[in-house]
Amino acid sequence: MSSREPRASGYFRSSYAQGLRLLETRTQWTALVLFLTALGIFPFTATSFQLDLACQVFLAAIGAIALMLLTGYAGQVSLGHAGLIAAGAFTAGILFKEFGAKFWITIPAAAVVGALIGLIFGLPSLRLRGLYLAVSTLALHFIVVYLGGEYETKRGFSTGILIDAPRVGDFIIRDRKIWYFVLLSFAAAALLISLNLLRSRTGRAWAAIRSHETIAEALGIGVPAHKLLAFVISSSMTAVAGALFGYYRGFVSVEAFSLFLSIQYVAMIIIGGMGSLLGAILGAVFVTLLPYVIEYAVAQLPNARSYAGMLAAFNYAAFGVVMILFLIFEPQGLVGIWRRVQNYFLLWPFKQKPLGGGRK
Amino acid sequence: MLKRNLMVAAVLAGLTGAAAAQDAYNVGLTGALTGPAAGTYAPAVDGLRIYIDKVNAAGGVNGKKVNLILLDDSAQPAKAAANATRLVNDDKVVLLLNASLSSTFAPTIAESQKGNVPLIFASSVCPKDVYPPANALQFCTTAFAANYDSRAVLDFVKATAKEPVKLGLSAMAIPISRGEIDYAEELSKTLGMTPVSKQIIPPPTPDYTPFATLIKDAGANWVYSWAPWVTQVRTLEGLRRLGWTGDYIAWAHLEAENELARLKDGKLYVVGANALFQEDLPIHKEIAAAAKAANSQYPVNQMAEGWIAGMVIEAALKAAGWPANTDKVTASLSNLKVDLKGLRGGELQWTKDNHFRTKQYYRVYRFDEAKGAIVRVRDWQAFDVK
Amino acid sequence: MQLAINIAVLTAIYALIACGYVLIYRVSRVLNLAHGELMMLSAYLLITTASLFSKTPFIALGAAIFLSLCVGVLVYLFLMRRMTGEMVLAAVLTTVALGVLLRGLVVLIWSAQQQNPAQALGWVNHSLPVFGGRISAAGAALIATTALVYVGLFLFLRFSRYGIRMRAAGQNPLLAAQRGISLHVIYALAWGLSTLTGALAGILISLDSGLDSTMVLIGLKAFPAALVGGLDSLVGALLGSLIIAAAEVLMIYYVDALLSDVVPFLVLILMLVFRPWGLFGTREELDRV
Repeated sequence: MSSREPRASGYFRSSYAQGLRLLETRTQWTALVLFLTALGIFPFTATSFQLDLACQVFLAAIGAIALMLLTGYAGQVSLGHAGLIAAGAFTAGILFKEFGAKFWITIPAAAVVGALIGLIFGLPSLRLRGLYLAVSTLALHFIVVYLGGEYETKRGFSTGILIDAPRVGDFIIRDRKIWYFVLLSFAAAALLISLNLLRSRTGRAWAAIRSHETIAEALGIGVPAHKLLAFVISSSMTAVAGALFGYYRGFVSVEAFSLFLSIQYVAMIIIGGMGSLLGAILGAVFVTLLPYVIEYAVAQLPNARSYAGMLAAFNYAAFGVVMILFLIFEPQGLVGIWRRVQNYFLLWPFKQKPLGGGRK
Repeated sequence: MLKRNLMVAAVLAGLTGAAAAQDAYNVGLTGALTGPAAGTYAPAVDGLRIYIDKVNAAGGVNGKKVNLILLDDSAQPAKAAANATRLVNDDKVVLLLNASLSSTFAPTIAESQKGNVPLIFASSVCPKDVYPPANALQFCTTAFAANYDSRAVLDFVKATAKEPVKLGLSAMAIPISRGEIDYAEELSKTLGMTPVSKQIIPPPTPDYTPFATLIKDAGANWVYSWAPWVTQVRTLEGLRRLGWTGDYIAWAHLEAENELARLKDGKLYVVGANALFQEDLPIHKEIAAAAKAANSQYPVNQMAEGWIAGMVIEAALKAAGWPANTDKVTASLSNLKVDLKGLRGGELQWTKDNHFRTKQYYRVYRFDEAKGAIVRVRDWQAFDVK
Repeated sequence: MQLAINIAVLTAIYALIACGYVLIYRVSRVLNLAHGELMMLSAYLLITTASLFSKTPFIALGAAIFLSLCVGVLVYLFLMRRMTGEMVLAAVLTTVALGVLLRGLVVLIWSAQQQNPAQALGWVNHSLPVFGGRISAAGAALIATTALVYVGLFLFLRFSRYGIRMRAAGQNPLLAAQRGISLHVIYALAWGLSTLTGALAGILISLDSGLDSTMVLIGLKAFPAALVGGLDSLVGALLGSLIIAAAEVLMIYYVDALLSDVVPFLVLILMLVFRPWGLFGTREELDRV
């Protein structure tokens, strides 16, 4: 997606401005326009179940992009992603229930709360690395879920907080087609923000920190500030995804944000491919759709009903197997496969990479 | 990117295969068929499936088959939401069922309201919306119900206890159980009991003894627990291990019949609204035979909830006629009387305002050590629901 | 007095689980996040062996524990061996994936219903009076087992040939390998032992209070204990377990039971802020360019 090299073989850039461009060739433009058209037509041809899946994918994509910024680019591991999503959702839910706040207040508020939490839980990252950091973010998850549960019980919303559909003037966003476009634009915004961050100074600083902290510091990069910035931006985006989840589903409850959700997000960026935004999106698509594909496959088997009771267990097992297979055999993730396929066609009829050509 | 889209489209196109039978009543269920909570719900759902299969084999309802679509949500709200969306919009069900943890209620209700489809809670706890004045679209066939259960329990405690009651309370740290125990605490005060200790126990607790110690040290002589079976029974086991000899009363979940026989504790009372299978009524024999014929993997004595839901669905569809739509089904559900043939204390009746039942019956059982069997302590006691 | 007993039992539970984390981390720097699931798997294996050897509970127990040891070794041979030399994080994520897989498999094989291994073994969990309080037989067994396991591990690591090799591999794998120590054997042994101790914990807990999938969460709760003590120190694991268990039980007694769920992680954060390598852990080396 963000092409640092031109499509064709060889390196033709002659200025920094060219290096910063998002789209370089006419083919890329055509592909983008075609892709956008396809996205635009999709809701008018899909059943509402498919639309629902697409919306889930968009929501997951926002979260996955945010986690990719933090883990895949800045190199800071987080296992508390579900906690942040919960924090965003609860911010929206509580503001709505207690103050009747409108969505143009609750969603920015969720972003602010997310940023604050990101700041606080980014602090350990200044001292901790790798595993220890992952563990401290795990603690974040438990704390947020505890607080959310307390709120639900104390206020008597024992089956979750119901949130009304957002309303602009007299218009209520309820139709799934409209939701599709709303979530699509949020996901696109998240993608664009990330692309811009990554091709600017901040993104380069993150990459340097990920590669080697000491060297980055020696090069004059403010390591603590940039680490915190990564946490703040990523958490803020995640919290917005959480608030959107609350509005889209019409409810917020602690049970929706289990530790397994965090694992799913980590799986998205692994399966998609670390260090690539395209990877985050592919991972979000893959992980979101996998259980439904399995369900569909099982439904095709003869005597499907007798397996129905096994489905979730089967899903769990398959999810674990897929994750293991990717970790062992394709650490580059789906993006790695995609690049290999691309290279195959780019280099054809040669098998090896010609000097200076092909995509890394 | 384009490739990704094509892939998505291909996958999605594949998923639409869910065949919607045109010439049948479509009824959809989202339930915890698998996952950690499944133990409580899956047997009931299997009972429902067997009942509907039996109805279909006998020619269906009004000459049409009932197409029961079972979707698994593993008690995850997000999954339940996706299931409900699919059932309402794609499968065009005339009736929606929920058999899962209370965390899935909010999304299922949201979809039922959007699509104007009636929703029955079957084997999942009854939400307050089904009590009079009931929400137009929500119904509940489940035996256990917030507030009424505690009323029945405390009524029994008051009638049975010989000395002043010092009540210990135990809940699981999930909102629905905590809410009920809070209610019981207040109610016990009005009945002249002293609540001495209230323990709210987080679900993944390796050792219940600390909680039990607190209840025992507070001097409780009766302990009441309204929670998933694990919490109820582990609190009791913790108390007994500490040498506590008081009376313990808990809700008779589906597991109760097997568990009473396992625990063999003469002072453990369970309050329930379903007749235990050891009564061996003709209807129980019928369920056992059907389950055997269907080769079910679940214990027969946990299927009553599903059977009752099946009876209700059959009666409602029959009254709604053919072709049925959601409005007709809602109308027939709002004016329904089903003879439960002894599975409960009396018939289940729904009116326009009352989607719970007009009379709720409770029975109390315990294990009799001398007889080596489960015995009835108090027969059906009716409580009016207003 | 009952308070002390309650703390002792919980400490024993956490310590027995925590030493599994420590064993693997110490030799290979990998954090095994599937430990809870492996524990659960062992307890379920007991259900199966109990039905196979219903007459002889001790054979059933022994078979389940032996099978667990095999599972640990097999997990290393077929899965984690491929991850040696990879980034540590990738290895940790592999254990997460393994955990997810095991959770699914357990339900597929044994169903999600609540199980009672004690009943399957025909064993009654009596309670015994001690020092003015009471303790369940399984609780007492837990404390005894934990003591035995820790003494055994100390002796093993200090004096036995393979124990010394294990420590060497943990200190400097490259040097150890060059001195002729087979790293794969050592790692497989560590996985086997870790699963074995986890199995003891899982089996005893399930004998005490039944078995279902929440067992996994208990495994996860023991993890702060290992970390607070220092991930590569057995003494640390013991002390960390005591701290976490005491904090939890005192919280239940005197403050709010609901906080008991969060407290281990709060202690953990405090520890991470002030002394990330734990009470007895080795301080990680600084980066060099």
